[in-house]
Amino acid sequence: MGSSMIARVDEHESLRAEVREWIRANHPGDPGWKLPQSALEVADDRQFQWLRDWQRKLYDAGYVGAEWPSEYGGAGKPRGTQRVIDQELARGRAPFLLNLVALSWAGPVILRFGTEAQKKKFLRPLLRCDEVWCQGFSEPGAGSDLASLRTRAVRSGSEWVIDGHKVWTTLGRYADWCILLARTDESAVKHAGISYFLAPMKVPGVEVQPLVKLTGEGGFNQVIWSAARIPVEALIGREGQGWEIAMATLQFERGAAEGSAGGQFVGGPGEQVASLARLAQSLERDGRPALADPVVRDRLTAFWIEETALRANAARARIPGLVADRPEALPLQSKLASSEHGQALADFACELEGSGAALWIGDPHAPANAEWQRSYLNSFAMTIAGGTSEILRNILGERVLGQPKTR
Amino acid sequence: MNTAIRYDEEHALLRAEARRWLEERFPIGRVRALADGDAGEDPADWKELGSLGWLGLCVPEKYGGAGLGAVHLSVLLEETGRRLLPCPLLSSTLAALALGQSGSEAQRERWLEPLASGESRVVLAAGSDAVWGAERADLLVARRADRFAIVPARGAGARIEPEVVLDRTRRSARVNLDAVKLDSAAFLPASADEVLAKLTPWACVALAAEMAGGADALLTLTAAYTATREQFGKPIGSFQAVKHPLVNVLIGVEGLRSLVYAAATALDAGDADAEALARMAKAKACDVYVFAASRAVQLHGGFGFTLDCDAHLYLKRAQTTRPAFGDAMHQRRWLAEKLLGLAS
Repeated sequence: MGSSMIARVDEHESLRAEVREWIRANHPGDPGWKLPQSALEVADDRQFQWLRDWQRKLYDAGYVGAEWPSEYGGAGKPRGTQRVIDQELARGRAPFLLNLVALSWAGPVILRFGTEAQKKKFLRPLLRCDEVWCQGFSEPGAGSDLASLRTRAVRSGSEWVIDGHKVWTTLGRYADWCILLARTDESAVKHAGISYFLAPMKVPGVEVQPLVKLTGEGGFNQVIWSAARIPVEALIGREGQGWEIAMATLQFERGAAEGSAGGQFVGGPGEQVASLARLAQSLERDGRPALADPVVRDRLTAFWIEETALRANAARARIPGLVADRPEALPLQSKLASSEHGQALADFACELEGSGAALWIGDPHAPANAEWQRSYLNSFAMTIAGGTSEILRNILGERVLGQPKTR
Repeated sequence: MNTAIRYDEEHALLRAEARRWLEERFPIGRVRALADGDAGEDPADWKELGSLGWLGLCVPEKYGGAGLGAVHLSVLLEETGRRLLPCPLLSSTLAALALGQSGSEAQRERWLEPLASGESRVVLAAGSDAVWGAERADLLVARRADRFAIVPARGAGARIEPEVVLDRTRRSARVNLDAVKLDSAAFLPASADEVLAKLTPWACVALAAEMAGGADALLTLTAAYTATREQFGKPIGSFQAVKHPLVNVLIGVEGLRSLVYAAATALDAGDADAEALARMAKAKACDVYVFAASRAVQLHGGFGFTLDCDAHLYLKRAQTTRPAFGDAMHQRRWLAEKLLGLAS
C-alpha cells in the first residue's frame, strides 16, 4: 500500500498540539467592544490596532507565512504546515488576520512574479502586518468585465502617473500599498494594454473615500487617483502582462491556487452549522425549541451534510487520483460553493429568528445580538467579490465542462 | 467529523481496469439491448465478473475473495454506475457483506467461496419486494421475521415473482419465502437488527458510489450534447440558462464524490463517524442523482423526451435506487438524531 492521507494527517499531530497549546496561552480573548466579522469591516483605529497587534503576535510565533522562504521573512516549513496551523486557529476560535489582501493574494503574487528586490522589500513587512495592502482592481464601470477598466498609467521620466477611480477597496484607509491594475497602452486590444503595479498609497494624489456597506458599517472604500506619481520600480512583471498576473491573483483570491501565508480560516470547519444548531436550541417556535421542530431539523441536517461535503472536497482536492477526470473543478468551485452555502445558512438563521430578525445590533432583544443578520448581509461580499457567482459559473461551464463561451 | 480521504495507487489501478473493461463490455447499445430482453442480462457477464474477482472484492481472502475494503468497493461501483451495469453485482456484494459481517464461521466457509467465484449467485433480500437479482439467484440472504437466513431460491416453497420495473437495466422480484422449510443452521446467528446495523453503512456507501458514477456520467453526456446542439445559430451551452444549471449539477456531483470517499475511508478505518458520513453520502446521492438526471432530460430538450435519448435510462435508475436503504429524508432524520439529539 502506498501513502495514505490518514498517515499524513498523523504526521502533523505534534504541530497541532503545539499550535493548540499556543492558542490556549495566547488567545487575546474578547476585547469588550464590537470586533469586525472579517477584514472587510475594519472601520476604526481601535479595531485596526488590535487586529494588527494580533497578526504580529502570530507572525512572531511563526504561524504566518509558515511555508514561505525564510529569506523573505517566512518560516520555511514544509508544504501542508500552514493548512494545519489555519485549521487549529479555526478550532481555537482565533481572531482573523487583518492583512487579508497581502497574505492571501498580493504576497503570493509577489512571490511568483516579483523581482528579487520586490520580494526583499515587500514580503516580510506584509507578513508581520507592518505594512498593510489593499487591492485596486474594480472600478465603477469595470466589475465583472474587469478588462474594461479605465484607470491609466502614463510613463513620465522615472515615474508612472496614475489617474483613475477604484472601488471595493477593503482596508484602503489603512493601506500602505496597493496591487493596482491600470491601462498602460490605450492602443492595445482590451486585455493586452493592462499593467500591474505595486503602488504606494501614501503619496500625493491618492484620496481614499469611505463607502458605507449595506450593513451600515464602513471598512470599504473608493480610491481616487489624480495624477498620483509612483516610481518606475512599482511595475511588477512586464508592461502589458497585467491581465495574466491579475488572473493569477484571482486564483489566489478564490482559494483556487495554494500559496496563502495564512488566515484562511474565517468561519472554521463545521463551525457555522454548529452555531446554527445552538441558535435553534435557544429559539422557540410554536411553543417548543426550534431544534425540536422536525422541519427545522431536516433543514439543519441538510446544511450539515453540505458543510461536511465542502470539507470533504478540500480533502479530495489534494488527491490527484480522485480529481483526474476534472482537475480544475474543485479549486474553481471552492469559493462559489462555500459562499452560497454560507449565504443560505445565514438566511435560514434569520428565518428561524422570526420577528426577532427585524432587530438590529444595539437592540437589547436582538437574537444573538443580530450577528446572523450581519452575517447574512455580509455574505453578499463573498458571492460578489473575486468573481461573482455568475461569472464563476461561466468559468466552470467553459473550463471544466467544455461549454462554448457566453458572449 | 473527520473527512480525511485515503486513496492510493491500488485504488487508481482498480479504477483504470474497471473503467476500461466496462467501457468495452457495456457500450450503451448493448445495455439497451439487454434491457429490452426478457432476462435483462447475459449470464456470460456474470462469469466474467467472477473471474475478474469483483464478485468477491470485499470477501476475506481466506474465503476466496480479494479482501478489499470500502474505498475499493466505491471505486468499482462508481465505475459500474457510469455504465448502468445490467447485472446484480451490488445486490450480490450486499449479500457477501452481510454474510461476511454476520454469518457464522460455518456459513462463511460454506457460502462465501462459491459466491466470490460466481459459481453460486447470492443476493440480499432485506424486504419482500424490489429484491434486485432475485429471479436468477441460487440463494437469498433473506429476512425472515427478526432474523436473516440463507434460503435456496429454487427450492420448494420459494415464490419469486419478477416485477414489472421502471428501470429495466436493474431487474427485481417480489419474494415470498414463508413456505420454505429451513433448519436452524440456515439462520444467521445475529438478529436481523444487528445484521442491518452492520450492513447499513456499507450499503449506503456502496449505493452512493454507484449513484455518484451515474450522476457523473450524466453530466458528461449532457455537457457533450449542449456543447454541440445549436439553436439560434449557437451551441445551446453558450447560453447561461443552460450553462449554469449544468454547473449546479457539477457542484453537486463533486460534493457527492467527496462524501463517498470520505465515508469509505472512515469505514475502512473503523471510525466512529463512519455511519454518519455514509448516511450523508447516501442522502446527497439521492438528491444529486435525481437532480442530475432531471437536468439531463430537460437540457436535451425535445430529444430528451424520447426513448432514443439515453438520459431517461439514468433518470429511471436514479428514481428507483433512491429508496434503497433509506432515501434522503430518511437519512436526514437519522442524522438529525445523531447530530442534534432526540427531537423530544
